[in-house]
Amino acid sequence: MLTYILRRLLLMIPTLLGITALVFFVMAMSPGGIGGAALAAAGGNVRGAEAARIRAYYEKRYHINRPLIVQYGRWLNEISPIGWREDDEGNFTTFGFKSPSLGESMERHRPVGDLIAESLPITLLLNFITIPIIYAIGVWTGIRAARHRGGAFDSIFGFTQLAAWSMPTVWLGVMLITFLASNQYLHLFPAAGLTEMNASQMQFLPAHVAGHWSRGWLADVCWHLIMPVICLSFGASAFLTKLVRGSVLENLGADYARTARAKGVAENVVLYRHVFRNSLIALITVAAAILPSLLAGSVIIETIFSIPGMGQLGVEGARFQDREVILAVTLIGGIITLVSMLLRDIFYVLADPRVSYD
Amino acid sequence: MTEINVSMLTPPADPYPAPNAGYVVDAPVSFTRKVLRLTFERIGAQLGLAWIVLIMVLAVFAPLLANSHPLAMKSNGQWSSPLARALTPTDVTLLITFFAALILWRLKRIRRATRVWTFIGIVIVAAAVSYFTVKPPLVQVYDTYRNGLVSGEISKAIFVPIHYSPDDHQRDVEDARLKAPTLVHPMGTTADSADLASNMIYATRIAISIGFVATSVAIVMGVVMGGLMGYLGGWVDLIGMRLVEICESIPTLVLLLAFVSMFQNHPDQALYIMMVVIGALSSFSYAEFVRAEFLSLRDRDFVHAAQAGGLPLWSILFKHMLPNGMSPVIVNASFGVAGAILIETTLSFLGIGLQNESSWGSLLEQALGAGGNVFWWLAVYPGLAIFLTVLAYNLIGEALRDALDPRLNKMA
Repeated sequence: MLTYILRRLLLMIPTLLGITALVFFVMAMSPGGIGGAALAAAGGNVRGAEAARIRAYYEKRYHINRPLIVQYGRWLNEISPIGWREDDEGNFTTFGFKSPSLGESMERHRPVGDLIAESLPITLLLNFITIPIIYAIGVWTGIRAARHRGGAFDSIFGFTQLAAWSMPTVWLGVMLITFLASNQYLHLFPAAGLTEMNASQMQFLPAHVAGHWSRGWLADVCWHLIMPVICLSFGASAFLTKLVRGSVLENLGADYARTARAKGVAENVVLYRHVFRNSLIALITVAAAILPSLLAGSVIIETIFSIPGMGQLGVEGARFQDREVILAVTLIGGIITLVSMLLRDIFYVLADPRVSYD
Repeated sequence: MTEINVSMLTPPADPYPAPNAGYVVDAPVSFTRKVLRLTFERIGAQLGLAWIVLIMVLAVFAPLLANSHPLAMKSNGQWSSPLARALTPTDVTLLITFFAALILWRLKRIRRATRVWTFIGIVIVAAAVSYFTVKPPLVQVYDTYRNGLVSGEISKAIFVPIHYSPDDHQRDVEDARLKAPTLVHPMGTTADSADLASNMIYATRIAISIGFVATSVAIVMGVVMGGLMGYLGGWVDLIGMRLVEICESIPTLVLLLAFVSMFQNHPDQALYIMMVVIGALSSFSYAEFVRAEFLSLRDRDFVHAAQAGGLPLWSILFKHMLPNGMSPVIVNASFGVAGAILIETTLSFLGIGLQNESSWGSLLEQALGAGGNVFWWLAVYPGLAIFLTVLAYNLIGEALRDALDPRLNKMA
């Protein structure tokens, strides 16, 4: 098992190289090229000598005049822990161990590592709240629908789950903001951001301060997260419900379930101890697909609800053709996807003793 | 004592009984026809089909439903039709295509292949001829008609149901921006003072074309890639699968974002670039299905027979193997159309989609205005249109899947 995991981890390296190279060359060969929009923004109102000066500055600082393959190679050198060190001019000096870095954003003039460190936890928080909710809803409704197959609950769910799955995340978000968060209609939830402006001065827990109740930092974040989490979990939980229902139905009709019933096992035990355990495999398969799709979904959610997560960073980076930001977002998105695929294959072994990789 | 089971004497029930069949042997029914009948037996698939036909009709007849140009007007004692003169090559091609399809569909006496080829010929000729001959005026001044009617210059005018073109920004009307629905504008107006209902009708063209073209690109690319990988095996398969793996692990949206500057710098071709990009990105999942099917087919007798007959590679792949491995592709195509529409919506909503024409996504984006203002008509109508279209394709896809896979059919 350990060798298998090690082999898979090593195989990730060429895949990640392929992913970042593909994204880099697509971006570099599209009109404007690397940093095109950043240059246009910096030199939009100036002409002639001034524009040339700005371009020269970008070329010196970010080496955007070098051949594409060299730029990509330099980026690889930058993120790897073993490689050449650079002096201030960008020339390679000594070869050896160095601290890997993700470079500097052309648009924000800040280290990309810092930008990622600020935004990744927010995106992960959003996803790690959403995943248990999706599974709780999906498993509960799916089992219920399968158990009373053909009943009222099942038939209502049969249609609504498809409708829920077809619901565009964008539309759900816009409708929630319009009717539940704007001051023209019900102003129940905040429309944007992750905290109130004064959240940094709040207590952690709800407290009675200076004569009135303050809801505290934790409650404030939860209050802000309700609508984004609803948007993210809506479609995915409908998808999971369908999957659970199908998988449980298949196993309820299996021979081993009939045998269990025949020897007098209570129906609930058959369902939860025998059938549900065997349906787990289908749930695990889909877990690896859900995480990347949630990451893609959070790009939309973060834009609609103005949450400063990694999705928003990626969209901004794409708009400015910001080389380092896009590559970093791609790299991290790719790592998360590949790791979730690996975790899926490991969970297979844990859930089903028949599966073995050795 | 043996009891004779009555059910053994009667023939087994026909799983697909034809109406009024009785015990008469059914006329042979083709597989396609059987699958289609099973699919559209379902009320959900029927509703989905009805919605798609409706938006197709809206797309074809858009200029006759919403237009600032009067259908006919009388000015200086003479009747003229400004609407007919303002039709674009696209409008004309769509109308010709629609009627050609309708007529050829009814002409059941002619062989189907002949009808299909005639149809393709008509579409190509119509597109080419209308591109070179139909020349609408470059600058459209819509307020001449409204002002003319007021001043009496135009004595009579007959309008189509919605009196506004999608790009009629109502320069003559004071403060027409973001107005809630009224009798004049049944769905309200957009952020640039255009009529929302009119924009919604014209946007059906984008939704339909992006769904179909992107999915066709995906299927063609996926079938060729997957077919070659599955049939040839060896290093083609190895390299191909690595490529598929790489492209599947890139978050689609990130890769699309990398392409964004392409369609931002070519606003005129943005729609076509977007179709090809969405198609190419989704082709990898088709390649996976087709590869799996072809792997299981390539050692079957009929394939060996085709090889022994010395048929060329393309014939073995596409004429002999493909029809046997097409069902997962067909099912996923229906879901793929819905997916392509959703991707276009998302890109337009993020403000990095089409710029010259409004799509449902870009209309939806205007619902959240600056300063926390919201405009419910821009949230409800375009969003509902996207939702219903996606739902329609998903309903058909689900019914198709059950019709093609009898095992699932029994289970559900």
